[in-house]
Amino acid sequence: MPLEIKDVDAYYGSVKILDGIDFSASHGELLGVIGPNGSGKTTLLRTISRILKPKVGTILLEGRDVQGMKDKEFSRNFAAVPQDTTINFDFSALDIVLMGRNPHLGRLELEGEKDIEIARRCMELTNCWHLAERPITELSGGERQLVIIARALTQEPKVLLLDEPTSHLDINYQIEIMELLKRLTSEEKLIVVAVIHDLNLAAQYCDRLALLHEGKIVSLGTQAQVLTAENIKNTFGADVIIKKHALTDHCFVSPVPSLLKRQNKNEAELTIHLICGGGEGASLMHELCERGYRVTAGVVNMLDTDQEVAKLLNIPVVTEAPFSPITEEAFQAHLALIDKANVVVLCNTPFGYGNLKNLEVAERALERNKPLLVFDATRIEKRDFTNGEATKRFITLKDKGAIMVKSQEEVLKLLNISTPFDA
Amino acid sequence: MIKPKIAYFNKFIHWKMVMVYLIAILCATIVLTTAIGPVYVPPPEIVALLGNKLHLCEAASIPHKYDVIILQIRLPRIVLGLLVGLSLATAGTTLQGLFKNPMADPYIIGIASGAAVGAVFSMLILPGFLFIYTKPFMAFLGAMFTTFLVYNIAKVGRRIPVDTLLLTGIAVSLFLGAVLSFMMFVAEDLHSIFFWLMGGFWLANWAQVKITILPVFVCFFLIYIFAKDLNAMLLGEECAQTLGINVEWVKKILLVFAAFITATAVSFVGTIGFVGLIIPHITRILVGPDHRILFPASALVGGIFLVWTDALARLLGEMPVGIITAFFGAPFFIYLLRKRKGGHYFT
Repeated sequence: MPLEIKDVDAYYGSVKILDGIDFSASHGELLGVIGPNGSGKTTLLRTISRILKPKVGTILLEGRDVQGMKDKEFSRNFAAVPQDTTINFDFSALDIVLMGRNPHLGRLELEGEKDIEIARRCMELTNCWHLAERPITELSGGERQLVIIARALTQEPKVLLLDEPTSHLDINYQIEIMELLKRLTSEEKLIVVAVIHDLNLAAQYCDRLALLHEGKIVSLGTQAQVLTAENIKNTFGADVIIKKHALTDHCFVSPVPSLLKRQNKNEAELTIHLICGGGEGASLMHELCERGYRVTAGVVNMLDTDQEVAKLLNIPVVTEAPFSPITEEAFQAHLALIDKANVVVLCNTPFGYGNLKNLEVAERALERNKPLLVFDATRIEKRDFTNGEATKRFITLKDKGAIMVKSQEEVLKLLNISTPFDA
Repeated sequence: MIKPKIAYFNKFIHWKMVMVYLIAILCATIVLTTAIGPVYVPPPEIVALLGNKLHLCEAASIPHKYDVIILQIRLPRIVLGLLVGLSLATAGTTLQGLFKNPMADPYIIGIASGAAVGAVFSMLILPGFLFIYTKPFMAFLGAMFTTFLVYNIAKVGRRIPVDTLLLTGIAVSLFLGAVLSFMMFVAEDLHSIFFWLMGGFWLANWAQVKITILPVFVCFFLIYIFAKDLNAMLLGEECAQTLGINVEWVKKILLVFAAFITATAVSFVGTIGFVGLIIPHITRILVGPDHRILFPASALVGGIFLVWTDALARLLGEMPVGIITAFFGAPFFIYLLRKRKGGHYFT
């Protein structure tokens, strides 16, 4: 392996910051270092970039101990982009980038054609050549970051170390910089080690992730291996949902709002049952839970968004196997839940042969004198995939006294709660 | 998109032009200030005499009445002024770059006070123990000792944070100020100490120039070698480290050189404040922050500035030049302080 970090311990004074760090990275790899604040991420980069000397352990680049390298030789192999890139002196962007040639030039040697050619190539690579003559103090944070990365590249290093290159940047620059790093690894065969705060960016762009916690690597591997809800809970102490990104199949981390953990305490203690599916009930479920209602739901298929949300919200829900029609068993269970509810809501769900029984159950609810609110936001004909069968039943519901609603706010109003808009 | 490339080489040409202009101004300064004084010497006479002495031309008849004034009184004084201005400006530039702070100068971090204590001490206790070298030697010792002291007090672990260094410098300066006051209190020959402290060139002679010139130029060159390192250090110390610079080592070396060049400057002419503060700052506005041009340019500007202020001092009845530099310098310092509120120069 070209870059090997072997059993490294590092200290600040007598405080141990890194504890037995051991990993390696190969050419063309983008390794993301993630972890909570104070877990030693920056210290790890500082140790690799030789600013901090490890007390124990060695760092090898292509089999050579980096501690044995001369300063200039080291910086021809390793380049770093620091966290804080503010520069208060009026150098032009090109001046700054050319400082990256320092390790290749003698003390009194001026930059020549070749150096400027390299600087130009690096600045074109990072898409900042048009800024060359601008004073660095006048550039925006994102532009400055591109210039600083270009400077690191003019060192012509084998290893590029970046400390939170995307923090404080808007999403446009975050993507630009991450895609640049990706390009640098795949096209220029650089070894890139980057501390990244944003777990989703890390998951999307890094080849591998190293999760640091209290100075130790607790998990190292592909994003799917590292980014598990359990790992995040153990290191960051945060409850998160890990989902697969629909487009890229990368892990996608989103936090669970702490409100959801609150116990229901609406004085009315109404139980509201949602007949949903197809993700149509999810946001209402959340809304109602937050307002302290007891919520139940059914019948939804496994892997349906509604089912996942219900699980997260800890809502009793009747489920059915993926892509399967509702069985008699599920139907009965569903009825039982409805019996316990004070109000039943039929969501804006599309109907096919598989979930026709959910319309039937709504009818039963009416028969049992349960108030039934029916979403009519999308015309039933448009979400009827049963050649009119669902529409027929839907109209029956209307005739039998179901209350038609158009929006969530209307439901909440009917439930005699002030909506956020009234408040 | 070839434009920035050409512009970059234009920069080097621009640097050369700056140096040519400054050297031209320097030559004019030497001639013009030689003319100024209690006795007016016509500049053509000066040019002719200098041309003759440097074997540039064979001017036939020069009235000998100006020889002594030009060669023995005015010229050594001007050359010493140039050397001192160069030294103080170089020390100031070094320290400002080192601390990334335009408020740093040899006085503020205590180097000059240390040199002053050393020099005054030699005047009080050890007159003539190393002949003419006593004062410079003791000034150098004082400067080095103070630098060492400030450095070690300011040191946190293995690093020297800039803010603690500046504060330590101020504290040590105050202490040394008390030491100076005490020495003046017990001194018998108060007059010479007093005049030395205010700084002036009235005792300048060729012997002093001879002692000063070599160390100053060697030291200037040694500092100049680190110009690129200082550039990189302006981006931050860790940044400089990743560019292959041994930051802590460079800091130590440059502190020693700055102390040395300051001590050399201070030893004969006394404490002349604010040159090391104003000159690098003004030069930076003129030529930009790159130390490769900033060092030579501010050295020349420093020399020119000090020679002119000394000429002014001469006209004002041999007023100590330190008074005039302080007159310009202190308001300038206040201006910098006010500007600091904008936070532009500070990290």
